[in-house]
Amino acid sequence: MASRLLLEVKGLRTHFFTDEGVVKAVDGVDFEIERGQTVCVVGESGCGKSVTARSILQIVDPPCRVVAGHVLLHRNADDTLDLAALNPRGKQIRAIRGKDIGMIFQEPMTSLSPVHTIGDQISEVIRLHFRGTPQQARERTVELLRRVGIPRPEQRIDTYPFQLSGGMRQRAMIAMGLACGPSLLIADEPTTALDVTTQAQILDLISQLQQELGMAVLLITHDLGVVAEMADHVVVMYLGTVAERGDVDAIFHAPKHPYTQALLRSIPKVGVGVRERLATIRGSVPPPFARPTGCTFHPRCERAMAGRCDKVVPARVPIGPANEVRCLLYGEGETE
Amino acid sequence: MSPGGGATNGDALLEVRDLRMHFPIRRGVFRRLTGWVRAVDGVTFSIREGETLGLVGESGCGKSTTGRCILRVYAPSAGEIVYRGANGKAVDLASIDESALRPFRREIRMVFQDPYSSLNPRMTLLDIVGEPLKVHRIASGRQLEERVAWLLRRVGLRPEYMRRYPHAFSGGERQRVGIARALALEPRLVVADEAVSALDVSVRAQILNLLQDLQREFNLTYLFIAHDLSVVEYLCDRVAVMYVGKLVEVASTAELYARPKHPYTEALLSAVPKPDPRLRSRGRRIILQGEVADPANPPPGCAFHTRCLYATDRCRTEEPALRDVGGGHLAACHYAEELGLRGAEPVSQDGSATFSLT
Repeated sequence: MASRLLLEVKGLRTHFFTDEGVVKAVDGVDFEIERGQTVCVVGESGCGKSVTARSILQIVDPPCRVVAGHVLLHRNADDTLDLAALNPRGKQIRAIRGKDIGMIFQEPMTSLSPVHTIGDQISEVIRLHFRGTPQQARERTVELLRRVGIPRPEQRIDTYPFQLSGGMRQRAMIAMGLACGPSLLIADEPTTALDVTTQAQILDLISQLQQELGMAVLLITHDLGVVAEMADHVVVMYLGTVAERGDVDAIFHAPKHPYTQALLRSIPKVGVGVRERLATIRGSVPPPFARPTGCTFHPRCERAMAGRCDKVVPARVPIGPANEVRCLLYGEGETE
Repeated sequence: MSPGGGATNGDALLEVRDLRMHFPIRRGVFRRLTGWVRAVDGVTFSIREGETLGLVGESGCGKSTTGRCILRVYAPSAGEIVYRGANGKAVDLASIDESALRPFRREIRMVFQDPYSSLNPRMTLLDIVGEPLKVHRIASGRQLEERVAWLLRRVGLRPEYMRRYPHAFSGGERQRVGIARALALEPRLVVADEAVSALDVSVRAQILNLLQDLQREFNLTYLFIAHDLSVVEYLCDRVAVMYVGKLVEVASTAELYARPKHPYTEALLSAVPKPDPRLRSRGRRIILQGEVADPANPPPGCAFHTRCLYATDRCRTEEPALRDVGGGHLAACHYAEELGLRGAEPVSQDGSATFSLT
């Protein structure tokens, strides 16, 4: 195993066991994250990208459960831990959350506590993982707030989330995610609730901190512009499976999967000038209980092969060293 | 078609002049008036018949409030909203009372942002789309059903579904229902407030194409309020950029994107992430410092001076007027002519457009 590898997700399946039936939110996801790398998981709503991120830390709530697969965290050369095998309420996984792997969420207003100051919330993380006096934790918190670009951190440390603007709250959230110097930061739609100019600030901050601290980032987003801006490696998800993954240039300039191709054609691009009609993907993402058989994308796919794509589940086909695609145009069905 | 456009011209369907919407801030037990939020603070623009005007800006800039004033959801504090009705007569919507407004409620309709909260979950599609027809006593019974079926078909939904409830439909389909409802009364002006913001990428393209088809078919005029500059470029003929209650720039879409004359527009264009990794703009991107000014307490002079890269002492004291800086291109910046700002970088046609299905 190469020592550059930080996290491996193998055959991850996370299902919701509801009264109406089982929703296979994540149904066989594989990808890797190298140290210091930025991996973007991109997909439309309901594709399972957020559940994938949460499954890594096992913070999925019942009736949702990780039912199969491995999440291997390589802390160093001879210390590998399967996070999916740990008890979600156990000591071991709790020692990893916030320390080895930090997480920031989409809407800081709902994911920060409204009744505690941001200083208390950040220093709580520090004191959970490191011993030290409250004074030391506070000093470190001020330092963190300064680092994420919050002006006058000595005063802001005692403010409540509602007293901060959306951008400042997201900065506080990032400070919390970084509090213990994680080797991986999971960011679930960190800029979706923000304006473009604030989004630019936050994305810039994340990549700047990443360079300084050398951490890897797993960025969950639906915005292909953000992906193009940030990613080294891209994972395209559709209905709980990975349609295609590969390095960012290949995904944008030589996409293989019909879904990736169609997604890229359906986004309006700034500065093109000519107003041609947008290409669309027919239909919409099917509801969770009505997963199509075979390749889940076949009802919307322009290149679907009748009698094949609706019956055979495509296997992962490697294209080049780090890229792979799940489509019958390029390979055979799964042999399970 | 002349670019730009504050000029008063005969074919304007709607002319908004010096529109102001100030909301009172009340505090304490006695609800004492302590200040005013100047959500819209002197906005002037016009929309020609059949045109799509984009109104862009960040949250809190007053773009939605402007739209709502035009629909008279709010009674504006000051200013005129001159609408030229189907009969050719011009009326100031800002000053007439509720009963006189009624005929115009048929002609100006709205499409809302969130297709989940804007449809009543207890009403079937027939009720939702048919309600305006009933309220305005245009159709009832069998005729109403036929009309609703026709409308649903026009927006790409199957008329058989008209007895179903909104929960049975996806976000994109719900947005189509919202559009059908807006079209029910054969409006002339449609105000679309972030109509595609809540939709997934693949569905958004469908709705954008639908809006264009319907515009052609029914000769609609759109006021398209949005924060997404790529969508606006795709749909709009002209664009007005708003910042803290005021317009800072108005120009034809191609002109505004290629040659912005206001530093705020330049920053907005540069902040949009480009969907091509080869154009990665880290370093070249303008990252605005600080945050949008508070409309309850706007800074003196140009409201943008606190974040502007080019601000001088003059900007801190003297407020720039929205003026023609050449060819009908309007900008509210003292230095619009001198700055030489950068437009949107063109996405290479041979770049992300190389792949195709053939």
